[in-house]
Amino acid sequence: MTDTGPLSAATAAHSSFDPYTRRVEASRVRFLYGLNPLAKLAAPLPAMALLVFARDAATPAAFLALAYALLLVGVAFTRRLAAVLFLALPLSALVIGFGFALWTDASKVDQSVVVWQIGGWTMYGGALEVGFATGLRLSAIVALTLIAGLSTTGPDLVRAAVQQLRVPYRIGYTALAAFRFVPRFGHELDVIRQAHRVRGAHGGRGPFAALARWFGYIVPLMAGGIRHAERVALAMDARAFGAHPDRTERYLVPWRVRDTVFVLAFWLVSAALFAALFPWGL
Amino acid sequence: MPVSSAVPLLRVRELGITHDGETTAAPASVSFDIAPGEVVLLLGPSGSGKSTLTLALNGLLPQAVPATVTGSVEVDGLDTQATPVAELSTRVGMVFQDPDAQLVTGTVLDEVAFGPENLRMPVAQVLARAEEALRRVGLWERRLENPDRLSGGGRQRLAIASALAMGSPLLVLDEPTANLDPAGIEEVYAALAEVVAAGDRAILLVEHNLDAAVGLVDRVVVLDHDGFLVADGSVDDVLRGRAGELHAMGVWLPVSTIAALRLRRAGFGLSPLPLTPAELRAALEAEPWPDPAGGSLPAASGIPAPGSPDDGSEPPLITVRGLTLRRGHSEVLHGIDLDIQRGGFVAVVGANGAGKTSLIQALAGVVSPPKGTVHVEGIDVGRADARTLSSRIGFVFQNPEHQFIAHTVFDEIAHGLRRQHLPEEQVRMRTEELLRRFGLASKAASHPFLLSGGQKRRLSVGTALVAGAPVLVLDEPTFGQDRARADELLSLLAELNREGTTIVVVTHDMQLVTEYADRTVLLADGRVLAEGPTADLFADDALIARAGLRPPPLRRALQGLERHPELARVARLSDLPGASTAPSRSQFRMDAVEPTPIDPPHAAHPELRTGTSGPHPPAPRPRTTGGVA
Repeated sequence: MTDTGPLSAATAAHSSFDPYTRRVEASRVRFLYGLNPLAKLAAPLPAMALLVFARDAATPAAFLALAYALLLVGVAFTRRLAAVLFLALPLSALVIGFGFALWTDASKVDQSVVVWQIGGWTMYGGALEVGFATGLRLSAIVALTLIAGLSTTGPDLVRAAVQQLRVPYRIGYTALAAFRFVPRFGHELDVIRQAHRVRGAHGGRGPFAALARWFGYIVPLMAGGIRHAERVALAMDARAFGAHPDRTERYLVPWRVRDTVFVLAFWLVSAALFAALFPWGL
Repeated sequence: MPVSSAVPLLRVRELGITHDGETTAAPASVSFDIAPGEVVLLLGPSGSGKSTLTLALNGLLPQAVPATVTGSVEVDGLDTQATPVAELSTRVGMVFQDPDAQLVTGTVLDEVAFGPENLRMPVAQVLARAEEALRRVGLWERRLENPDRLSGGGRQRLAIASALAMGSPLLVLDEPTANLDPAGIEEVYAALAEVVAAGDRAILLVEHNLDAAVGLVDRVVVLDHDGFLVADGSVDDVLRGRAGELHAMGVWLPVSTIAALRLRRAGFGLSPLPLTPAELRAALEAEPWPDPAGGSLPAASGIPAPGSPDDGSEPPLITVRGLTLRRGHSEVLHGIDLDIQRGGFVAVVGANGAGKTSLIQALAGVVSPPKGTVHVEGIDVGRADARTLSSRIGFVFQNPEHQFIAHTVFDEIAHGLRRQHLPEEQVRMRTEELLRRFGLASKAASHPFLLSGGQKRRLSVGTALVAGAPVLVLDEPTFGQDRARADELLSLLAELNREGTTIVVVTHDMQLVTEYADRTVLLADGRVLAEGPTADLFADDALIARAGLRPPPLRRALQGLERHPELARVARLSDLPGASTAPSRSQFRMDAVEPTPIDPPHAAHPELRTGTSGPHPPAPRPRTTGGVA
């Protein structure tokens, strides 16, 4: 069992196994795995909400830096993490930045700096600034969600929601069972697409043909999905699911002092950043 | 064997069940008891209500599945209509057909713990129960793995462990091996044998694969077609004593028993009636060949099976040369060379991962093969467009629903003709003709999804053939179906085959292969291990073992038979003496479809099909539908 895993008396006795199949084995420094999923969601929430209103580049840049720092320290450094942090996010920030720069109404921006001039069309420095502020803002919000996203498993989130938020377990664990549907549906969709291609259904190119094609996949996919869900429901009923108001929790996802500390610290840092950078370009 | 006078664990009295929306009750009226520790097999023809009955035993029906119930079911003295399912779950554990539809959690251990957790047991007890259950089915060592990584047989053993962990004294299994390959079936029955040997659980088993099940069973309960109880007694009394009667009713019997019934017709005594390959073998070794009156083998088993044109004068319909296929990063087929003759009924068999599906998908262009490697009627599949392909080769997917693209049965068939830009009048005529031919004329205006299972399957075969394709390729068409429906489909395919359509089929059911396919392609690790007449391939036990396959039950009984070397090479029921009397055309019995050796050789059939073998396929033809002329 990893040092970060929640322990109950019984799981400690059987400590040779790790219940979280997708959990990354990591050192103690990678502290994000050890936090309650709800803490990791609650901590960046106020910052994410306020960032929506920020208009400058400095505020989102500061939060982007904060999120990167937390992720680089708190999550095991894998190829996937590197790809997300150093490829996907910067690239999407660039694309969104240029996109918004082009899209911005040129008459409403600062026209003192001319970056390019192609024929009668001018790209002003002001437009570029607005565009990149938007790109940074969206990247910062995404990076903040990654704090929970890259260090939490679905089952843990459900368990925390049931144990701390008092979400009814019938809903939580049904959602957990539904996780298993996803790969199955993916496979089924592949087969349906193959079968329809063989039949030559809705040939042709263009968005309308594609729309018609996808519509054709829905009926068989839904029919299969509903039948499967009914069977799963019967199998769960047959194993006493929902028999009592609560059920045994073998895996406790406790809320500990460190969770409170993390949330409060994050909120404090957020407040300090927002205060220092006020008025965020508004 | 437990004493039947013991206090019954399960009491079923005059049970009748009518699903909401249905008019007839199935089962109609059934009464029987199960004592603690007893192992009972529930048999009955398709539609007699066996699965429905199992759902009533733990109250899922009528509590979760709406239905009208008459009579009563009591478990441990509790009325299953009034007691909540959750409470009954500690008395009755259920294992369903589809292992994937019973998985809820992310690890093997969590899965088994799921039930006891719902019962609010203390953690230590949950883990103790989970460990005991997993050890009984041999999965304890794999407790940390994701259930998805288990084989089909492994997942079904997990479902059994999950039911065991509920601690219920009665275990109900509804066709637990219908979705499994032969290796998976063996695994599941090995696990069940452990449970039976421990003797602490009563078991009610609904199963079509009797060859595996019959060795475990104490008692047999039989329903008839209308859902009434017709037999309840020991294996000896019911299966051995009334085998002929059950067989006539459409109840599936072990292959060894069907074989023995045939051999009796040929004059063998074979008493008591054998039920397993081992019993049949022992009985045959103990008995001399009967008087000549009984007749000999219908013909030497080495005869070219009907439909295999061995003259070699005609070019093959499908040629495969140096076919190598990649899926993602791995090569799944390596340099396949293969010829398939016109008019053949070819089975493609092999262990899991041998490349069976990849091969037939490449033949039909479902997955594009490299250019120049696969030719069908001279057309390069790698270069052909979808429309040309569909007039050469039809592909039937495992689940017919996946193939349906139209809103009515009529349009479903007509689609293939409209694609060829035929005049609408001709489309209508040919579509109606084909619907009549497949018994779907009255359903022309229905939505394809509202058809019954068998009708859906026939429609999917029809859609694949309507464009005039002389070859039909099917991927595991019998997977997850009961034997009656599987047999109905195979009968249809055999009929199409007799009329000239070449059939290529992938299946795990070795007995089915030996009964129907005249040629077999044996794949192993993406290569053709052997290709030849089915009877020859299956007579070579070492070869079958090398492919990672199990010989079909009849082979297991007959291979190496010392007293009757004439029988030692027989692989199919129809090659047994006594088989050729009065060929029946019933679609319900495995021995029903008699390959009639008197049939005109299939070399004659290309003439029947000239319409499809011409060089200009899309040209309007006066023929009705290709393949079903």
